[in-house]
Amino acid sequence: MNATPLVRRPLGCLKNSLRQARQLKESRLLVARGMATTTTETTGSEAPPPPRHHVFQIIDRKTKKTRTAFAIYKPAIKPSLPTLKELPPILSPPKLNKPPSNPLPALHAEQIKKMDPTGARTRLFAKTRGAARVGDILMVTHRRSGEPFSGVLIEIRRRGIDTAILLRNHLAKVGVEMWFKIYNKNVAGIEIVKRAKKRARRARLTYMRKAKHDRCDVSAAVFAWKKTRKVTTIKASAKKAAKGGKNAAGKKAK
Amino acid sequence: MAPRLPARCCWRQLSLAGASTPRTALIFAPQIQKSSFSKTAISPVKYGWSTTLPKRGAKPYKYDQTTSGLPALTTGPAAALERRKNTTPVRAGVIAVKKGMTAFFGNRGARIPCTVLQLDQVQALANKTREKNGYFAVQVGFGDRKADNVGAPMLGWYEAKGIPPKEKVAEFKVRDESGLLPPGVQLQPDWFHVGQWVDVRADCKGKGFAGGMKRHGFAGQEASHGNSKNHRTIGSSGPSQGSGSRVLPGKKMPGRMGGQRVTVQNLPVLMVNNELGIVVVKGCVAGPKGAHVLIQDAVKKPPPPQEFIQKTRKLLDQRFPNAEEYLEAARKQHLVLKEARAQGRIDQMLKKGVTATDEIESLLQARITAPEVVA
Repeated sequence: MNATPLVRRPLGCLKNSLRQARQLKESRLLVARGMATTTTETTGSEAPPPPRHHVFQIIDRKTKKTRTAFAIYKPAIKPSLPTLKELPPILSPPKLNKPPSNPLPALHAEQIKKMDPTGARTRLFAKTRGAARVGDILMVTHRRSGEPFSGVLIEIRRRGIDTAILLRNHLAKVGVEMWFKIYNKNVAGIEIVKRAKKRARRARLTYMRKAKHDRCDVSAAVFAWKKTRKVTTIKASAKKAAKGGKNAAGKKAK
Repeated sequence: MAPRLPARCCWRQLSLAGASTPRTALIFAPQIQKSSFSKTAISPVKYGWSTTLPKRGAKPYKYDQTTSGLPALTTGPAAALERRKNTTPVRAGVIAVKKGMTAFFGNRGARIPCTVLQLDQVQALANKTREKNGYFAVQVGFGDRKADNVGAPMLGWYEAKGIPPKEKVAEFKVRDESGLLPPGVQLQPDWFHVGQWVDVRADCKGKGFAGGMKRHGFAGQEASHGNSKNHRTIGSSGPSQGSGSRVLPGKKMPGRMGGQRVTVQNLPVLMVNNELGIVVVKGCVAGPKGAHVLIQDAVKKPPPPQEFIQKTRKLLDQRFPNAEEYLEAARKQHLVLKEARAQGRIDQMLKKGVTATDEIESLLQARITAPEVVA
């Protein structure tokens, strides 16, 4: 990213821009630090590896003398503890693979990479400026059902690969809510029809289920949006327009 | 279990003494006797006095009883093992921790809910054999436990195996000796085959003392129509005078709910990953996140292909080629340390630095030549 977009932006978002620049700087620093640690590791390999076993002593409380002691076949936490020396090196205990304490983030990342290679779906619901937010009107094209479903986004349930969104609309004057798993291949495209005027101050807009706050039918907004889109993409072939849902979402997020 | 002399030594002794001596007679022998083995069973009691007969209700130690020309018994340990042959898995299982649930998505849009189970430093600890214990099983340990939190007897047990103390230990029955594992080998997620079926068992969430509605799905009582303070109570607990005016045994009533062992059978394995240490199975598994879970090949489905089983065994050998020698070395070392502890010399030994290589040989010699001195 270069500095030119900073200049082009209106003054109102200067604070945000500055924040972004600061983050960029920090991330650069992190990268540099990361490289530094790798180099020190390689130099550190010359030192002898710590012994893989030690002796655990049970000390008598009254006499403060070693009552008894046992060999423990794992590295000592404190280096001062006595170790066993007589096991020849070939017979040192097997090195055990210790997995990360929380494997789920890595698993999610792997699955998301598989299901969303372009990263468009992830970006559309990331916690960034361009992304969709609660209160926006979205349109989801589903492979199985014929008509695309549009509605107000009232909740984003962030669960890695299992991330889902909840849309609310009125069909035939009846409130209808639909959950969509954003990484599901059946969800062919998600488009932002209309942005919310103000940032919602709740994470879940469940108050919209009350008649007082309900935004009811969103078809008017969808119709208006479709009209503007037709004007801009009038030259595009019909085929392209039909499958353009996913791409459009990606472009918007960028 | 107090560690014996290295197993090999025992067997060598045995073959010298005469092949006709039953193996089982030796197993409970408290010490190795050089010249002659008594043909009567030796009491398993080590300290104090005892009669030669085993305690009533003690484990039978002659599992292979020969019947003199009579048809094979349909009861007893041998018959029981034979009967359970087909429902005992071929291989040992592993202990894991439930990390949570997530989903996999198919290319055609199918969502498959799945549970992530993680293996942490899972090692085979010991084997149980037909001759010694009456059945074949593998003891498996999970995780890591601070030595401070382990009692002295167990520290000695782990010392003899050359394995660090474990957070959780469980036993997995296997069909025959081909399923036994060398102690010390680490079992990793690739022990399982993607696509195979497993049985997963864990303790389910406890619900405490629950009423009849929650525990047995009773309908409860009316909200109105004159009902007074009995909306969720169970109704009648049985008929009256004509049927004996008693509550029949087994009547469903309020009580402790949950917290029992639950086995979920035939879960397909969707994914294994050694780096993350995870086995992902389809569907749900009992218990909260962080619960210990036992995974073993499914009983009601065919085991994984024979080639795969052989491959996993080979992998184990590759990863820990000198398992047997290592166990032997650890045992020898344990004998020396044990001796030092018994004589109260362990403190001096530590001060000198534990260098006991010469001592091992001398001690072994002493044990073999003059067992009464050591005893």
